[in-house]
Amino acid sequence: MPEGSAALQLQVGDRVVYPNQGVCRVAAIDVKEVAGQSLTFVTMRREEDGAVVMVPQGKIVSIGVRKVASPADVEEIYAFLRSDSDKADLDWKQRARTNLDRMTQGGILGLAEVVKGLQVLSELRPLPTKERELYDNARHLLVSEVAAALGTAEANAEDSIDIVLFPPGKERPKRTAAEFARPGGDEDDMDLDGDLMGLEGGELDLPSDEEPQSESEEESSEEGGEEEGGEEGAEDAPKKRGRPPKAKPAEGAEPAAPKKRGRPPKPKPEVAEGAEPAAPKKRGRPPKAKPPEGAAPAEPAAPKKRGRPPKAKPPEDE
Amino acid sequence: MIRVVTLDPFDDKQLAKFNRTLYTAFGVGSEHSGSAEVPAGMSEPLDAEKLLDEVKGIRAYKDDKVLLLTSRKLKDRDLPSGKAPTSGFARYGKDRAILSIAPFKDLEKDFKPIARHALHQLGTLWELHHCLDPRCSMYPPWTPSFNQGDHIFCTFCREKSEQKIRLAKS
Repeated sequence: MPEGSAALQLQVGDRVVYPNQGVCRVAAIDVKEVAGQSLTFVTMRREEDGAVVMVPQGKIVSIGVRKVASPADVEEIYAFLRSDSDKADLDWKQRARTNLDRMTQGGILGLAEVVKGLQVLSELRPLPTKERELYDNARHLLVSEVAAALGTAEANAEDSIDIVLFPPGKERPKRTAAEFARPGGDEDDMDLDGDLMGLEGGELDLPSDEEPQSESEEESSEEGGEEEGGEEGAEDAPKKRGRPPKAKPAEGAEPAAPKKRGRPPKPKPEVAEGAEPAAPKKRGRPPKAKPPEGAAPAEPAAPKKRGRPPKAKPPEDE
Repeated sequence: MIRVVTLDPFDDKQLAKFNRTLYTAFGVGSEHSGSAEVPAGMSEPLDAEKLLDEVKGIRAYKDDKVLLLTSRKLKDRDLPSGKAPTSGFARYGKDRAILSIAPFKDLEKDFKPIARHALHQLGTLWELHHCLDPRCSMYPPWTPSFNQGDHIFCTFCREKSEQKIRLAKS
């Protein structure tokens, strides 16, 4: 349930926040007949550009429409932004899901969490394009709501947020991946096998456009995962999904060489000892056979005439 | 069109160079559109917001962006979360901004940081928010590294400003 929307009584002229759209003003509440039913519609006009949206009153709460935050809420936002508690998830899928929920259902605190989380993440590494856009959207919505709550200009609202996020006279700190590690994060791996996770201790789980993995890296991480799977394969352990772990090699036996991908190499022909190695095959048309040396040189053939053959002459006797 | 209006005397050559820089950054024309007077009764340090509201005698078309340039100090703004160091001010998405060169020696010697501040204020007029990239001119201007950077935008901010300018033209 979005915050502040449990009992939303709207009147014309109220300022509300439509999730992902920004601050709107209720322009009208009127009854319209749609498909034989009379429904009460709330008409809202976005303050930024005047775009109009009509929502049935029964859906207002489920959509997540809420009243504009109060100045006390904004103070809480500043306190939250000032704290060093919120670290974004390094798993990009988890992060994207969380941020989406925060944007739609999280209220003003959800917006602040997205901004703070991505800002802290950008101190570790630059944000990919999609997250940069998300950061910009979240910042825009947060700034416009803070401005509406405090009744100030948007430029002042943004500066008041950034004074907290970027304190004057201080440079932003450089973060390390270790700072983003969550306590007990190993148990919280969604019951995935090591080979599906493909991760080692401090590695990041990035989408393919962020950090393309080379094939050799993939292989090594798969092998690492399989080994881990083998070690964890205790009797009492719960059933795991995915590929079953490989049987352990017998003790003393040499560890099998890592499997290579792709077509196996062609077997080399066995060459007898002392024999000369076969000459490498020449490509192209084979040369013409030479005439034997003892034979008389044949007359050179008349050159072929091109074009239509001459007509047969009529017999002269007739 | 960007119109630079001076509130104090500046060298014409330096102003021409300044306009060329703005033209390069945004891809729209930029010119020195004369000078204006600071409203009577306003003393240094100037209140940037009040000055933007009260300054008279500026002629501009609807889509024009006006940058007021002054050598006088601007007053730091008191905001709910603290005091904001103010070397310039722009209303988000509106048409007027002000930039003070008081923190610097002059337009010639400190051209790069002044141009960077000007880009920042004009970017705010074109609805750009503060950026996370320290090399971008939209990085918060009170950070220590801001004055050391070049007067450029990051890819994201450049594309966004171009999009806004295209929309304004159409």
